[in-house]
Amino acid sequence: MSSRYRVGWHLLQAPLFFLLLGAIWEFSVHALDIRSYLLPPPSAVFQALWQSRALLWTEGLVTLEEVLWGFAWAVLVGIAISGLIYSAPIARRTIYPLVIALQGIPKVALAPLIIVWAGYGLLSKVIMVFLFALFPIVISTLGGLNSTPDHLTEHFRALRASPWFTFRHLRLPVALPYFLDGCKVALPLAVIGAVVGEFVGSSKGLGNLILFATSAGKTDLTFATLIAVTAISLILFSLIEVLERLVWWRSK
Amino acid sequence: MNTLSTSDQIDAAISVVRVSKYFGGENGIKALDEASTVIKDQEFVALIGPSGCGKSTLLRIIGGLMSYEGGEVSVLGQDVVEPIDDVGIVFQTANLLPWRTVEKNLCLGEEVRGHSLKALSDRISKMVKLLGLDAFGRHYPHELSGGMRQRVAIGQALIRNPRVMLMDEPFGALDALTRDHLNLELLNIWEAQRKTVLLVTHSIVEAIFLADRVLVMSERPGRIVEDVKIDLPRPRDARSTRELPQFNEYLLHLNHLLGVF
Repeated sequence: MSSRYRVGWHLLQAPLFFLLLGAIWEFSVHALDIRSYLLPPPSAVFQALWQSRALLWTEGLVTLEEVLWGFAWAVLVGIAISGLIYSAPIARRTIYPLVIALQGIPKVALAPLIIVWAGYGLLSKVIMVFLFALFPIVISTLGGLNSTPDHLTEHFRALRASPWFTFRHLRLPVALPYFLDGCKVALPLAVIGAVVGEFVGSSKGLGNLILFATSAGKTDLTFATLIAVTAISLILFSLIEVLERLVWWRSK
Repeated sequence: MNTLSTSDQIDAAISVVRVSKYFGGENGIKALDEASTVIKDQEFVALIGPSGCGKSTLLRIIGGLMSYEGGEVSVLGQDVVEPIDDVGIVFQTANLLPWRTVEKNLCLGEEVRGHSLKALSDRISKMVKLLGLDAFGRHYPHELSGGMRQRVAIGQALIRNPRVMLMDEPFGALDALTRDHLNLELLNIWEAQRKTVLLVTHSIVEAIFLADRVLVMSERPGRIVEDVKIDLPRPRDARSTRELPQFNEYLLHLNHLLGVF
């Protein structure tokens, strides 16, 4: 087999595998006569996906907006916090333990309180997303800032580089791939944060739609909504992977 | 040999007087024991010694990268407390930045000095030619061989046109053939633009071939125990210089001093 065909075959393996799982699912539901409000067959899920596409789109945009705002804040604050912890010893002794302690609180349990504080609107979801996404970004950025090889630090010292020059031309490029790794971990968590926020208190968004569809017995719509949530996660994740190509030197 | 006349120290590009170094405080490991030497302007000096004797430590102290206990170190008339602008340091690992091309790695040191990339383009292209890397200016370090990377590292120091070059086993990680090539290139560059060079090496042949003087260090705690003047004619070249009878005499002598036989 030539390598071109082999590449083609490799690319086909995942779709074929999913197709196979779908076929087994579809077949089992029919063969075992499972009620569709308990487990709808994939065909029904895709039908619901198509029929409710306008609804999924508008609710999806709500969730997307929450995720983007919360994630952006998590990135900004995460960079600021890790920069502070990295450069100020006092911050390492005070803010760092605080961040670790806050991470220990189950954020799901905080959701009702945040709804009470910030209301039913956008803000409470943004805070939830922020809380879910912050920790991985802080930890990985901090790890990146601490990963500058000693021999390069010494080299910059020998060149009499200023602290700012060393940061800009050495520490920052070294830290960037680590930061993007953190973003990749944080992003699916951010989407979970938005959905959890919508579960606890909201009249909009995909999380709210899941609650509505499930309680109305429209399990096919529940599954269709889950697909929409996953799609948001995957699309944003692949955007970060595109950004990652800009820091290609990580493995060199 | 620890008695240095005042006139020696005035001409000196590098002067090291009774310098000691401990790792882990005064009760820790003694790495250097009152090491002293004087290196004149435009002199090429090699520093050899058994591994772990403190050669690299002494070089780092002269380069202002490491503190020391007792004694005095001055380079180009300045007391060394931090790296000095007119000193270039080349390390055993080519410290190249993987996200910068060869050209941009070359000018890193000049960027530190505040020169813009545009103003440097002439000097960069000259340096790329001098190093024989014409075809690789826009390439990244991971696309180069070990020898080419080390050339870039040397070029990065040379492009700043320092008066003193400190080289810490710059060819130590290279294969013998590449090493011979780079020795010759270094020699040619030095003949063309004389600088004060202190080269730490563990190759006796390399030391004799390149240097005006070879300093021999003792086992740890290191001190400079011999100062061998290499009286081989310059310009030197790969074949005839090594065929000189004196070359072998120096080789035997230094091998003996280092206890090889």
